[in-house]
Amino acid sequence: MMTTTREMQRKQRQDARFISKQTQTSAKYLRRIAELPGAPDGMEPFYETLHRIYVGMQGVDLPLGVNAVGTYCVMAPQELIYAAGAMPVKLCSGNYTAFFVGDDIAPRDACPLVKAVAGFKHTGLMPIYDNCSMMIVPVTCDCKKKTAAMLSKKCNVMTMHIPASRGDDEIDGFTDQLYELAAWLEDATGNRITYDSLVNAFSMVGHAQYELSKFIRLKKQHPYLIRGTHAMTIMNAAAYMSAPAWANAMHRVNASLRERAEKGQTVTSKKLPRILLTGSPIVFPNMKIPLLIEETGGIAAADETCMGERGMWDPPVITDNSFDGMMRALANRSLRPCPCPTFADNSQRLFRLRQLIRDNQIQGVIYHVLRGCLVYDFEYRRIEEELGRLGIPVIRLESDYNEEDVEQLRIRIEAFIELIKLRQAPAEKAAVRRDFNEQILHWA
Amino acid sequence: MKSRKRIIITLLVCLGLAALAYYAYLFPFYEFETNDYEASREKLFSAEYLKTLLPLFIITGLSALGIVLIIRLRKLMLRADGKYSRFAARQKSKKAKAPKQKPVPFMIVRWLIMIVFSFLMIWGGLLFGLKMSSVSIPILSCPWNTEQMTESSCYYLSHLSELFEMPVKSILIFFGSTVGFILLLGRAVCGFLCPIGLIQDIMDKIRRKTKTEGISANEKVYNALTPIKWCMVLLFIGLCFIGGNFCNFCPAVATSPILAGMSTSLYVSGFLMVFALIGGFFKRRLFCNICPLGYIVGLFHKVSLFRIKKDCTACTECGACYEACPMGIKSIYTEREKKDVTEANCIMCGECVRRCPEDKALSLTCAGIKLYTSSRKDIMSGYAPKKK
Repeated sequence: MMTTTREMQRKQRQDARFISKQTQTSAKYLRRIAELPGAPDGMEPFYETLHRIYVGMQGVDLPLGVNAVGTYCVMAPQELIYAAGAMPVKLCSGNYTAFFVGDDIAPRDACPLVKAVAGFKHTGLMPIYDNCSMMIVPVTCDCKKKTAAMLSKKCNVMTMHIPASRGDDEIDGFTDQLYELAAWLEDATGNRITYDSLVNAFSMVGHAQYELSKFIRLKKQHPYLIRGTHAMTIMNAAAYMSAPAWANAMHRVNASLRERAEKGQTVTSKKLPRILLTGSPIVFPNMKIPLLIEETGGIAAADETCMGERGMWDPPVITDNSFDGMMRALANRSLRPCPCPTFADNSQRLFRLRQLIRDNQIQGVIYHVLRGCLVYDFEYRRIEEELGRLGIPVIRLESDYNEEDVEQLRIRIEAFIELIKLRQAPAEKAAVRRDFNEQILHWA
Repeated sequence: MKSRKRIIITLLVCLGLAALAYYAYLFPFYEFETNDYEASREKLFSAEYLKTLLPLFIITGLSALGIVLIIRLRKLMLRADGKYSRFAARQKSKKAKAPKQKPVPFMIVRWLIMIVFSFLMIWGGLLFGLKMSSVSIPILSCPWNTEQMTESSCYYLSHLSELFEMPVKSILIFFGSTVGFILLLGRAVCGFLCPIGLIQDIMDKIRRKTKTEGISANEKVYNALTPIKWCMVLLFIGLCFIGGNFCNFCPAVATSPILAGMSTSLYVSGFLMVFALIGGFFKRRLFCNICPLGYIVGLFHKVSLFRIKKDCTACTECGACYEACPMGIKSIYTEREKKDVTEANCIMCGECVRRCPEDKALSLTCAGIKLYTSSRKDIMSGYAPKKK
């Protein structure tokens, strides 16, 4: 009896420590994001959402009688979940504290994202995980597969098979799978997915995508209009907001940005090096890399990560307006445009990067690899080669969910940004500098 | 084993088609007592006109019946398939409409040209006295309609033996105008001018309006259609030399002459028209996929003025163009190097450009001038918040 009380006390202490540590880190990152100058008006709803979930330790803002469905990938179509009268919540986690807990549960080489998910599930302290009694896990890598098994002990999990290629047969197969998913959603939520509800869901998510495409167009046309960290915060907050709420908040941001663009205002008067962030997902509160980029004098001009713009950029294009046609549009949207490295042939990612580089006048690429995220790490070589051909410098940053490597990352990012600055400096100045550098080398 | 089976089936189908085409006169769909190719304006407005239209009514009735039957049958078949049936059987309210893009000028112009041109090809000579009979356009507008605006090349191309019996001047005019149109427009004649194309597009519109599921054709379906298309081409050109008559087989006979008030007996062509209508309802422009004339025009796709251009850097390979394409051209989204993605099968309907979500990724050009360019704004126009 004594031991159990003692154990309970220990557990309580552990939980309290977990909560305090978790809220502290999240609050710190939120503060750092908010302190970064140049945020557009109307960012409050996004900050509030992240604050409520990670600092306030509350659940998602669910309307009464609506279930939340957890998803672990953008390939699980939001439209279907809305059509079933539920709300999708992206549960991919970037939490440092949960990562340390998960470190003991998941194998050593598992990626930190999975460890963080395992940690959250194990402690059972995050209300958003309790919100979701149903979860959809698209199997995009081995870690996700085992995550599904781990999660299924406590909740209703649907796994989705992601094919290795994107041919016609695979799209047909994926459409079949979406029908299965729809049936599962119906059983789990008790609502019916009908033509009408699907149409509603399409226009709900479509509206959010409409605002997003306006946002990205503004960003593209006017460089230095917004900082990438803020853009990524907006995209991260989308994971926990309903599509209409997000679209409304986005509308305000767009209005503020348009005003800025008309006045010719920018976040900075200097020509800061424009950096593209790609690779493994960057999930709040693991925002150290975009924050470091902007704190060391660069600007994260665009990102190609699945918690960022990629997640909602591609609209489902309805070519046949029947129920089946819409399901097909969803299947097509989920697989074909997705530059996820889970596909065997993913050369389209190179083209997507090229497109982003051209549209956003990118000067350097930072390739983020979460330790243990093999598929992204595999693609680095090819992308490095391709970017080398284009003359764009690229740097690979491997990091974990902890703050121990922040200083090391800072030095590397700073050096990278200096390198780009040196390249973009006028020819004469650069020549002088080069002489100077050579002299230093000579003396050394 | 599988491929051998497929070859045998294809061969059998092609042989069947050939036999059907050769003995077409043995299968009357509707026979008039006397074929009367005289048409006048008075006849168009008399009760006699209704009599000539009778085969058309039969065709429409049969097609409608066929479509309803197929939908019913599919429902029955789906009942056994648990996955789809629980969704397929559900009622749709009339109010709910799938998000739709705002109409763009290009599409409106295309539809206008199609409708006006088909109208002129059928009644142009009768009603407006427009006749330039020596100029030939390569489309399936039946030349049995002697009052049509211009000649269509299909008759002499399918009756080459007759062509060479004509005076040299006529032959030169025929080839000159046909080749001229092929070079100028290419398969844009299919997307803009062909009346059979218009009829199929209308069938597709009806399907969209009724929110009926179509056939989502994939590569296999298109691959299966290709040998049939070649077979059709062989029949189209060769039938006259072995004593057949392609006109008894061609579905175009069932529209233009009859609508112009000429009593033309229909043989296999009537059945084929029913097939084209039902097929066009479930799969957009099904007949265009096996059209022999279109194929011949398409052979010259490398030199025609109308082109589909692609900015490969802007493309995300989302495959929306491929899903939208009625001809199943896959290279349009897989192509990552060439700027010109015009294919032999492309009918310049502009559907791929319309469905492309990336700014300036695809464009339809004529002689280097951009007629229609894709844009994200157009795609998202259906989702724009309603202004209060």
